[in-house]
Amino acid sequence: MKKDTGRALSLSVYTEMGFLPMCTSFVEHGALAFGLDERGATALTLAVEEIFSYLCRISSPDRGVTIRSSSRRYYNLVEISCPVKDFDMRLFNLTARVSAEDETALEQMGLLIASRFVDRLNVTQGPDNGILLSLVKEKSYPEADQIMTMHPKEVSRFSLIRPQPELLKIITTAVKALYPPYLFPKAFLYPGKVVDMVEGGEYEALAATGPDGSVGGALLWHWVSEKTVECFGPYLFGQAKGSAISGELMEACIGAIAKSPALGLVSLLPTDELPREHFEDLGTLTLFDEKGNGTALTAYFRQMHEDPGAYSWCHPELEPFLRSQYGRLAMPREILFVRDLGETKSPFSVLSVNIERSGNKATIRPVRSGKDMQENLIGHLSLLKKESLKNVFFVMDLGIPWQTEFTHPLLQSGFSPRVVVPYGGEGDQVIFQLGA
Amino acid sequence: MHAPQLDRLVPEYIKRFEPYIPSKPDNELKKLYGCKRLLRLNNNENPLGPPPAARDVIDGFPPPAASVYPSGDAYYLRYKLAEKFGLHPDQFLVGNGANEVITFVIKAFCQEGDNIVTADKTFAVYEWVAEFSGFDARLVPLKDFGFDDAGMLRTIDNRTKLIFVCNPNNPTGTYWSREKLLRFLDVVDGRQIVVLDEAYFEFVEKEDFPDGMALMESYPNLVVFRTFSKMYALAGLRIGYLAGSREVVDIIRRTCVVYSVNSLAQQAALATLEDGEHITRTRRMVREGRNFLERELGRLELSFVSGEGNYLMLRLPMSDTLAYRKFMTRGIMIRSMTGFRFPNYIRITISHMEAMEAFIEALEAILAEMPDRRP
Repeated sequence: MKKDTGRALSLSVYTEMGFLPMCTSFVEHGALAFGLDERGATALTLAVEEIFSYLCRISSPDRGVTIRSSSRRYYNLVEISCPVKDFDMRLFNLTARVSAEDETALEQMGLLIASRFVDRLNVTQGPDNGILLSLVKEKSYPEADQIMTMHPKEVSRFSLIRPQPELLKIITTAVKALYPPYLFPKAFLYPGKVVDMVEGGEYEALAATGPDGSVGGALLWHWVSEKTVECFGPYLFGQAKGSAISGELMEACIGAIAKSPALGLVSLLPTDELPREHFEDLGTLTLFDEKGNGTALTAYFRQMHEDPGAYSWCHPELEPFLRSQYGRLAMPREILFVRDLGETKSPFSVLSVNIERSGNKATIRPVRSGKDMQENLIGHLSLLKKESLKNVFFVMDLGIPWQTEFTHPLLQSGFSPRVVVPYGGEGDQVIFQLGA
Repeated sequence: MHAPQLDRLVPEYIKRFEPYIPSKPDNELKKLYGCKRLLRLNNNENPLGPPPAARDVIDGFPPPAASVYPSGDAYYLRYKLAEKFGLHPDQFLVGNGANEVITFVIKAFCQEGDNIVTADKTFAVYEWVAEFSGFDARLVPLKDFGFDDAGMLRTIDNRTKLIFVCNPNNPTGTYWSREKLLRFLDVVDGRQIVVLDEAYFEFVEKEDFPDGMALMESYPNLVVFRTFSKMYALAGLRIGYLAGSREVVDIIRRTCVVYSVNSLAQQAALATLEDGEHITRTRRMVREGRNFLERELGRLELSFVSGEGNYLMLRLPMSDTLAYRKFMTRGIMIRSMTGFRFPNYIRITISHMEAMEAFIEALEAILAEMPDRRP
């Protein structure tokens, strides 16, 4: 896990509108210097402008705000930290709508706009009980050429190498040409982006090459959380069935993370070449194409350490599923129940949604529970339906008790639990799928 | 009060280092996995327990003696070791398990920019101690499951201070013969300290297996590790030692934490050296267990690596960490080998026949659950 934290700039100002031009100029020029194009830099600047203005409105003028802008090769990260306690995260719901008659809501509209200008926006607890807003704007990359630049041929003798940028571009182009889109991540459509991800340490890649330099196969992986690594592939190019390349690539990947903090290695987009003997079958997710044809994809998992046992928080309605999965996988888990005993709840819940149009897919994650969980979920589903997205998933972290409060609304809305990913988050994760 | 500025306070090499999480106590594991018994086949412990003389020492340890500091440098034990091996008492350093003496050696010889050389798939503590001390651990891939002497020699540079050779290797059981070791030591020619970890020395019956203790006079850059944890079954008391030339041990002693070895451990260890029968009995048990395992694994068509030491490594047609959980639910604790960079291998401590039969029975049941191995 050697992520390139890149070059960084920071600016500290006060929550006064007089500082706004300084903030916007800092973010815009920083973004341009870090390689974003003008359109991207402008979008990021507008997002920061909206957030800074909002912070000025809701806090006293003596509050300090620190803006940190850093380059992570394929994206520009802007982090805004401020000791504000009354931040309305509800506005980040995909379904948030602002009433024209409500002045407070109008004031907050800027936040909603900000969230739409960037590729990712996360809100977390910052220093001194304040908030930390992280805005990500990715660089633009051209799509891969349709023309293959490599002629696949069988490689009888091979060695494993870390592919250099040009080879990596050929590999990602070949993957796109030879594999269906549901078997590789969206980033593979942009080979230049994959190169930047690998060079920046976000992805790691291994290729099997023959004596003449021809590529027989490749495997890529990246850290999806502090405890979990996800791998893609192995992808083989022109190799006979049963080629040793898959096994060697997989063992090298496992060896590379064997002494790291990774507790699990997952393969959620498994190719036929994935050596099944290294993995456990977690269950299946069904991916539907635009015509509604479903393809069942098995989620595979490999534990990287001997399991020391763990707690899993659980809503009673999820218990039968969890017990059957833990029993099948021989997972040592103590199930703890979350029950509503009348304590005061927040009126509003917050959900984050990651939409991947190329995969016809949306993944919802809870940010905060609240009394309106059912309505909020239905609102999101209705919006996603309008977007014609066929595959909707919900990821619940069983290490975070309040997240399990979404169980009943999920089941009521047509979701069903499909897969448990051990140690996928703070604890195990359950992936729910809508209507499958 | 502000939170500590860990980002500034913690060295980069510590930030990168992943702590080792030991297993939970047996009773906790039994609760977690829902098993009534637990056969420990994971740590290469000797199920026969300590030799009788050491048991007597443990049984008779007077509680008031616990209030008195132990001998700070294991005085009587070093004299006894010197007598046994025909060396000088100052050629020995006793530590709180062999792990502690590994730390002494690395601290004594390495400074910023230095490195150690060892194998990629061997006892992990050499690599760990080097890395969390800020030194580079250069790992040479095993060749045919054994330490690659030529590869190690190629890896050495002028900042290499220590070469660690685990002989026999844990977990593969391969070893360097006396001839191969001498050839290696001749090429190194005193430029580095060569550490020969002989934790499993007492289990080996092969005639060409070298005795490091007998080589120190000819090779004063040789340091030998031995332990009372394995053959002598004192793992719970934590006691091991190193031996070397007086000049080298004098340097290592400067980094040695005195009083780290408790009185009971010192006295029990001293008593083990009197008993020759214990080694014979243990070797017989290991021989029988190994023969049984090799035969049964062959019948199950599983490949295995069986060499010296009281362990054997086998390859499963499934993830070793999944196998660990499945064995645990059946009350058998094995060591998964992913952490040793041997994915899908497990290591089994060779134990008494009852345990070996239970292991094979569980293994067959686990294999039968696999979809493609069902009859």
